[in-house]
Amino acid sequence: MENKHITIFHGPQHPGITGNMSVELDLIGETIQKATTHVGYLHRGFEKLIERRTVIQAFTIVCRICVPEPDPNEANFAMAVEELAGLEVTPRAQYIRVMVLELSRLAAQFLWMAGQSGSIGLYAVGQWAIADRDLILDLFEELTGARVYHMYIYPGGVRRDLPEGFLERVSTLLVYMKKRLKDYDDIFINNASFKNRAIGVGVISKEEAIANGYVGQVLRGCGIKADVRKDAPYLVYDELEFEVPTQTAGDVYARALVRRDEMDQSIHILEQVVAQMPDGEVMIKMPTHRKFKLAKDDTWVKVESARGEFAYYMAGDGSEKIRRMQVRGPSLVHAYTLLEDLLVGAELSDVALIMNSLGICPPEIER
Amino acid sequence: MGMMMFQKIKSHFATDDVEVKRNDLYKVGIRRDRLVELIHMLRDEYGFKTLNAITCTDWIEEGHFALTYMFTTLDRKHTFMIQTMVNRENTQIKTFSHEFKQAQIMERDLHEMYGINFIGNENLKELSLENWVHTPPLRREFDTLEFVNNNLTFREGRDDNVDTKAESKRLRVLKKAKKDADKKEAAKKAKEEAEAQKSKEEEVKDGE
Amino acid sequence: MKWSVDLKGTLSPLSILTAFWQKPNTIAYPTVKKETAKGYRGFHTNFLENCIGCANCQDVCMNDAIDMIKTDKEYNTKNASQCIPRIDYGRCCWCSLCTDVCPPDSLKLEDDYLNVTKYASDFLYMPKNKE
Repeated sequence: MENKHITIFHGPQHPGITGNMSVELDLIGETIQKATTHVGYLHRGFEKLIERRTVIQAFTIVCRICVPEPDPNEANFAMAVEELAGLEVTPRAQYIRVMVLELSRLAAQFLWMAGQSGSIGLYAVGQWAIADRDLILDLFEELTGARVYHMYIYPGGVRRDLPEGFLERVSTLLVYMKKRLKDYDDIFINNASFKNRAIGVGVISKEEAIANGYVGQVLRGCGIKADVRKDAPYLVYDELEFEVPTQTAGDVYARALVRRDEMDQSIHILEQVVAQMPDGEVMIKMPTHRKFKLAKDDTWVKVESARGEFAYYMAGDGSEKIRRMQVRGPSLVHAYTLLEDLLVGAELSDVALIMNSLGICPPEIER
Repeated sequence: MGMMMFQKIKSHFATDDVEVKRNDLYKVGIRRDRLVELIHMLRDEYGFKTLNAITCTDWIEEGHFALTYMFTTLDRKHTFMIQTMVNRENTQIKTFSHEFKQAQIMERDLHEMYGINFIGNENLKELSLENWVHTPPLRREFDTLEFVNNNLTFREGRDDNVDTKAESKRLRVLKKAKKDADKKEAAKKAKEEAEAQKSKEEEVKDGE
Repeated sequence: MKWSVDLKGTLSPLSILTAFWQKPNTIAYPTVKKETAKGYRGFHTNFLENCIGCANCQDVCMNDAIDMIKTDKEYNTKNASQCIPRIDYGRCCWCSLCTDVCPPDSLKLEDDYLNVTKYASDFLYMPKNKE
């Protein structure tokens, strides 16, 4: 019979996709023969906007590059400017930055859980995850003045000191989270229907993962222990103790188990930070009108976000403006090189499942 | 790792432009005709097997682009930045997408934003912009303010903005002029009163 | 396809039924309102007795959202230009850099965030005159 080939457009509005992105699929029956990714719905032109602005004006728009998890962007920007302008950050500010980054990682993993369970149809888990993430956003509202786009990690320190009683509220929340995550084990991670859908789907081999530059849970699900916090430590991660969880199967279920273990490790790190918080100033003395002068040099900084290694390239030219800032997020290679290979031979109903487990975030592909 | 590798690079490629930025980041500047040789040497002998990113900076006043390739080792503890200069007009450079699969999407992004042609790349179609016919946007000669003023209209209602420096100067000058005028007025009045007083005294004297 | 029985995996999700006896997470808005935290970045306020019209806020704003316009009467004799800021909320991103660079500390952000209007011209907002 002719007319066996169908081409459909999967997206850009689809409940399984964390963002606005579409995949064009060629099908025979329900099996995929070829997949092509299309982005371009969210291009805002950040790298060109920064050319006309001074450093402190550029700091306010950098957090909007990645929507589910804005804080690694601010931390990268601050670290790059501090290297090019020669600034030193106080210890208390470094501990507060670690606390903000780990809380943001917990919130992003809850959002992942909502997306992954929604792609199979377990919507109750998604509602619970969004409600628990809201408790973390309440803490951010008190600390920084906004719930999602914090604009808190300044080049030179952090913007405000901790409010009164903040560390007690963080400890109370951590006690609640440890108890609550056991409920999620019962209804989601050990759920037989999730296991039946997820085991053996979307398998990635170890050699391919290393050669093609994949990052994050894609590597850790294949058995490679790779984490920027251990390999090239930044801030005060070399003084804190934690582990890097790995699995060996390389499929969707292995990546889900890795993420669940990382949530436990984040809570462990936060307990240590709350216990060891030093005293002191949180911000260095600012230049007048906050105009920083950058050296004529370039640098490459990286941070471990909830989805993988996030890196920035920044070049200055001796003036108050930034010459070039390029963003290398984890999703650029995952959405094109990995996804187009992985979807060949998969079923149509597994597309949303695989995309959620890779952690693809379209805003950082096209900035 | 460190010293032996740098010695070999300096002697073999006749360059002095090798730098250690942090304990996990190195940088070398190389001429573009020996770029492929250097990348192969670092990959085969020293383990820099993963291509992380390709970035480009526009130095318009010096007349070239600075293309940088970032390579990482297997254990991800060290990164090497390999930088080469290419010309700005009609840039042609050979692609790396046959040896490193992820280079294809990175080169497609740079082609759209800077207009660099990567010879041998199979897919250089548009990525984020649609039906764009003007100059590639990230080049420095593309002025966004001028583009916006020519092609888009602004909403009304914000015409009453005042330049505060000019306004405070104007008010200061007005105030000084008023003060001078008042002083002159006061001096004139005092003189008139003095004259009136004097003529009154003379009248009284005459009357006596 | 395997047909093995996973007893633990089939029965443990039933613990979700305990949610029937728990307190709900949602609040009954608009009869019950959530308390906003202190220090929330909401609308602007400007104490006109202290504002000196220096236009630092206009220089640092990265979206060109602030206009300096003439006052109707003299609030502060030290105001050299007799101009006060007005903010275009179509462009403002609430980063509060303008409050950081204000020398007499008269421009601040309060914790009110709700404003409903029919007209787009209401986006040109004159900050309230209070401490």
